[in-house]
Amino acid sequence: MSVTSIFFQTLIGGIGIGSLYALVALGYSMTFRSMGLVNFAQGSIYMVGTYFGIIWYQGMVMNLHVPYAVAFLIGLLCNALLGIVLERIFRPLAKLDLMLMLLATIGLGFILDNLFTIIFGATGFAVDSPLPNTPWNIFGVRVLPQMALLIGVSFALMIGNQLFLSKTKWGRAMRASAMDFEIARAMGIPTNRMNALALSIGCMMSAAAGILAAPIVYVSPSMGVAVGLKGFAAAILGGLGSVPGAIAGGLVYGVLEALSAGYISSTWTQAIAYIVMVVVLMVKPSGIVGEITVEKV
Amino acid sequence: MFLEIDHLTMQFGGLIAVNDVSINIEKGEIHGLIGPNGSGKTTIFNVLSGYYKPSGGKIIFEGRQISGLSAHQITAAGFARTFQNMRLFKSMTVMENLLVAMGYRAKVGLWQEIFNPVAVHREEQRFTEKALELLDLLEVAEFANELAISLPYGHQRRVEIARAMATDPKVILLDEPAAGLNEIETEELRKILTNIHERGITILLVEHDIKLVMEACEIITVLDYGKKIAEGTAVAIRKDPVVIEAYLGKEGNQ
Repeated sequence: MSVTSIFFQTLIGGIGIGSLYALVALGYSMTFRSMGLVNFAQGSIYMVGTYFGIIWYQGMVMNLHVPYAVAFLIGLLCNALLGIVLERIFRPLAKLDLMLMLLATIGLGFILDNLFTIIFGATGFAVDSPLPNTPWNIFGVRVLPQMALLIGVSFALMIGNQLFLSKTKWGRAMRASAMDFEIARAMGIPTNRMNALALSIGCMMSAAAGILAAPIVYVSPSMGVAVGLKGFAAAILGGLGSVPGAIAGGLVYGVLEALSAGYISSTWTQAIAYIVMVVVLMVKPSGIVGEITVEKV
Repeated sequence: MFLEIDHLTMQFGGLIAVNDVSINIEKGEIHGLIGPNGSGKTTIFNVLSGYYKPSGGKIIFEGRQISGLSAHQITAAGFARTFQNMRLFKSMTVMENLLVAMGYRAKVGLWQEIFNPVAVHREEQRFTEKALELLDLLEVAEFANELAISLPYGHQRRVEIARAMATDPKVILLDEPAAGLNEIETEELRKILTNIHERGITILLVEHDIKLVMEACEIITVLDYGKKIAEGTAVAIRKDPVVIEAYLGKEGNQ
């Protein structure tokens, strides 16, 4: 393998894992910009969404083996409903002290993690790939079909979300209520419903990330812990509350991780990724794509 | 009576911000509300637009009691306002600010938004045209696609008035629209007020720029320490000894 193809191989891996972080980071940012709170249960929501979809695909419910695409949609739908429930839970929290609401979301994460451990056991399982396991060879770079699917669908979802927010009336109403909920409410926008929609979208993105990654990673009730933290780091890196920022932050974080694992040492991956993050934030505290939108907290 | 503020009292703990104030406003009039700082002008606006529930008295609009309704019910009833400290959606474009204000009466729902692009497009076009017409009235149409925050201060004030107009109000409440404007901009604002007035919209104006109030308003109510101390035409107000005392006495102390 040539030097360049090794580089591109590493880069593709980084973009793959990065799009996963980006989807989870979107969950953090959608919650923060709408309700002004950091939802540390986001990693658990990613795990829960993965189970909601994968259990149907793997035949864990009444031995049903539904097609992967259908399982994917079921997972997204279940997590969308979860988002609506979460908005109702978070609504009184958003008025509370920052410390209390952080504690509450961390607690919620523990509850979800433990609940799924009780139901499904602590040991995880591998998921059969819906696509062939032989990698494609694209100009000397080997890409797993599932990895290509992960990247492709993630990008489609992120672009779709961005278009929804910027081009549609509902997206506009959501942005308005995130910027100044009092004025938005006076204009007749049901701000609570807009928050529920924002949380639903965030939860759906996390479910999508989990279900797309499931055939590559390992599914277990603790799968959300590391991804949740990295998604948060990515959201901060991009500028917490910014939607393009979450995407940029996720991709940059994933690529950094892959490059430092490939060229320096896999032991130092996390340290290097975090050091770069801290340096970026020292230079630009509002993150890569700092927005004026977010004036909360 | 079109709009009737009836024995309104607003109390915050021990502080009585508005004390038994009654004002009658006729349809289509430009009504000024003046008084020294802390005399209760903005508080009356906040009650009128549904941010505060009055401690006493009531507000009757077109024969219906509106005090106690929520802010969006009051918007739907036909009230719109601007703010002293300007509250535009800063990182949205000027056009988007107006579209958001129009959106609440929109007929196209979420499912149509996704599955019926034709209906969406038609509605969007109708709204955009109407928004452009309003921006034209306020002479800021050329900035339609700029971010609200990037506009000069005076223009942001006009965009806020355009946004208030976008909700199709019967009454518009303007809270110090001339604050921070220079003389030329204030003169332009006065012309804009006349244009809005000609559309049959009732204007309630809180303003420190006495010259603007005297020139623009048909009727002026003067408040001091939460109480109404005078009401009448500009000419009558200017001669009123109680008003002169409230203002001069205030200045004499400074």
